[in-house]
Amino acid sequence: MNQASKKFFKKGDPYVLLTSLGLLISLGMVLWLLAIVLVKGLGIFWPRELVQINLKGENVYLGELWNSGKEISENEFEQIVEEEKTQLKIGNRDLYGYDFIWISDKEIKTMTKPQNAAVFERSEYGNLYGFILQVNLNNEIVTDSSELFNEAEKGISLAHELKIKLDEIEEEYNTLLTPLNKIQREISLLKVNSDFLTDEEAKRLNLLKEEENKLTESINQPRIVLEEKISTLKERLNSFTVNVITANGDETLMQLKNVVRLYQPNEMGIFGKSIHYVQNLWEFLSGEPRESNTEGGVFPAIFGTVMMVILMSILVVPFGVLAAVYLNEYAKQGALTRIIRLSVNNLAGVPSIVFGIFGLGFFIYIVGGSIDQFFFSDKLPAPTFGTGGILWASLTLALLTLPVVVVATEEGILAVPKANKDGALALGATKWQMIKKVVLPNAMPGILTGLILAISRGAGEVAPLMITGVVKLAPDMPLDFNFPFFHLDRKFMHLGFHIYDVGFQSPNVEAAIPMVYSTALLLIAIVVFLNLLAIYLRNRLRKKYKSSSF
Amino acid sequence: MAINISTAISRETVSELLNENIVIQTNNLSLYYTPEKSALKNVNIQIPEKKVTAFIGPSGCGKSTLLRNFNRMNDLIPGIKIEGKILINGKNIYDPDVELEDLRKRVGMVFQKSNPFPMSIWENIAFGPKVNGLSNKKDIDEIVEESLRQADLWKEVKERLNESALDLSGGQQQRLCIARALANKPEIILMDEPASALDPISTGKIEETIDELRNNYTIVIVTHNMQQAARISDYTAFMMVGELVEFNDTNTLFTHPDKKLTEEYITGRFG
Ligand SMILES: Nc1ncnc2c1ncn2[C@@H]1O[C@H](COP(=O)(O)OP(=O)(O)OP(=O)(O)O)[C@@H](O)[C@H]1O
Ligand SMILES: [Mg+2]
Repeated sequence: MNQASKKFFKKGDPYVLLTSLGLLISLGMVLWLLAIVLVKGLGIFWPRELVQINLKGENVYLGELWNSGKEISENEFEQIVEEEKTQLKIGNRDLYGYDFIWISDKEIKTMTKPQNAAVFERSEYGNLYGFILQVNLNNEIVTDSSELFNEAEKGISLAHELKIKLDEIEEEYNTLLTPLNKIQREISLLKVNSDFLTDEEAKRLNLLKEEENKLTESINQPRIVLEEKISTLKERLNSFTVNVITANGDETLMQLKNVVRLYQPNEMGIFGKSIHYVQNLWEFLSGEPRESNTEGGVFPAIFGTVMMVILMSILVVPFGVLAAVYLNEYAKQGALTRIIRLSVNNLAGVPSIVFGIFGLGFFIYIVGGSIDQFFFSDKLPAPTFGTGGILWASLTLALLTLPVVVVATEEGILAVPKANKDGALALGATKWQMIKKVVLPNAMPGILTGLILAISRGAGEVAPLMITGVVKLAPDMPLDFNFPFFHLDRKFMHLGFHIYDVGFQSPNVEAAIPMVYSTALLLIAIVVFLNLLAIYLRNRLRKKYKSSSF
Repeated sequence: MAINISTAISRETVSELLNENIVIQTNNLSLYYTPEKSALKNVNIQIPEKKVTAFIGPSGCGKSTLLRNFNRMNDLIPGIKIEGKILINGKNIYDPDVELEDLRKRVGMVFQKSNPFPMSIWENIAFGPKVNGLSNKKDIDEIVEESLRQADLWKEVKERLNESALDLSGGQQQRLCIARALANKPEIILMDEPASALDPISTGKIEETIDELRNNYTIVIVTHNMQQAARISDYTAFMMVGELVEFNDTNTLFTHPDKKLTEEYITGRFG
């Protein structure tokens, strides 16, 4: 090695280069990931224009340009050729059975964007692409082509109003019947073992039967009225329809109550598209999922995720802080505390699924099972707390994130100046008063650092949740307006699991991919938001408790 | 009160002390941080009421250790062993029926390095009264003002009681700590080199404060500065390697010390 290169290595330049390269690569990968998720996750809400493709053969397709690619194949002369191909989302699953097709570019004769092509977003079977032929609004038939789109939109909003009214009346009907149903259920229970009834039970059966008759009679009148109302409303609702012709010339009749949204992308300007974009985004954030989660919104999953993270924080912070305080302030420092510290640190390295299994075995089966036995025995064998739920999932995650909170809190406690602790004691404070008034406030930034780390870890965890209470589709939210408002036994939805479910478990993976990106983006955004909140809090506290500089 | 005649206390001082009320008295006090290492050896001292008593001696001789024993701050150190008695107002503070918090309320302490809590000035002063059970805001307000006045700090901070104590200057912070100790209305105030980290002007202010407090409190102060000891104290104790060498009237100790060791130390021929 010559002198110059020796010096070069001695000065460490190549290592500086190496370190900066390392940083560059990691930064680049993070940015790349973010860029992909951002573009794909946000791009999907932009309405795409409809393209009509006439093939050289007979076929005509109408749909959204989705993807393009190359196909490598052998031609008749056994040569390898590359062919351009295009993927089209043709929708109309109820008619053709599939949403997407690949078309070889050389088969395409013409590609046009017909002005009046319409997209119907439906609550079932995905999108319908086609042209409106005729709109039927409760016996009023519209065929005038300039009116069609507006009338159809009007029909949709009318149908939605009717549907809401119908739901209300059905609710009323159900409440009317509830007492009767209750009696009938009890009667059928008694009847099942009618051969072995005690005298008392037989008496009760007779009594119930009498009551049933009485009740049936008394509610008969309003019941008939409601039933009539319901059937007329239903009939009316069903009379809102639209006739659509697909690009292939197939005609289909569609009920407007099943249409979520209708738009004609090829006629929209940039402004119209922007409005549509915002609407789509809003639906995604605030709506309920449809079509086995591949369409619609993810609000229940957002809610479940945030609520679970908050519950987890509420559970993990007090435990972690108490443990750290005991370990640092009360426990006699020695071999035992060292072993405990080591174990806590190692706990952080245990695979999360192990925590999940522990949660299932201990929290759900043992703790939940006992709770059911003591407090909900009337509902057994159907479990209440003895099955997965948001409480158990949060507890499991609290356990999983306990080490980071303990370690961070310990660091915070160790950073409290001894002079301040002595000062408090010298003023006649008890040890507990000293901890409460001096140690904990001073350690608060450390505690919040622990919380931040816990949130980051907890919000992204999926594996342990899958066996402790997350479901693909939860019928009810864990928090609502029904007493007692918090339903900690309920199963819940979670964005992380949503990604897995939609991306890998859904029957229509192709259509679900955009949802995966958007949901991933949302999950990242929520974690970032929760972290920023905690960081903001920490900075405020840091300012307040900046340690004595003198 | 009976006086334990020990070699460290000169005959004249003994007779002088006979006229005083003794507040702190140690009987054969020995202290071991580790079993082999004694930091105090058979210390016998009497500290009179409402006087300023200074501890001087070379570094590491056990001045702080002795001082910290008077409010049992040494109890916290693991492995420590204390023998002998410390009587405060005639009561051994190691008796089981002595409440630690109550003792520390009666025996206040000011540390070498000022240690205000990261709270407002008001909360710093109110800390003691609050942990000792006072909750009426008006009463506490009164105590805060009174304590700050006594520590000569009121004029400087009365407009900014709600600002952080950490924004005060070093000298102000130390006077805040004195005020904080005063808020508990203690009988005795222990000060461990309260001015050693301060500039001459701040030191002067602290000395003024001590001067104003001397009529109402028993003050025990550790100092490295012999001029300071001579200026502010009534009695002075000279210690070396854990032993009390001489305890005397300050004037006498600095002009005609009883012991040769003392003389060597104060004339600078030693250490
Ligand atoms: N916590 C402790 N553990 C073990 N030894 C200690 C401890 N504190 C003090 N010592 C030892 O006890 C002896 C007396 O210490 P002390 O702090 O009382 O000295 P000092 O006279 O106050 O000295 P200085 O003037 O430097 O403050 C020293 O040898 C010191 O090393
Ligand atoms: Mg000292």
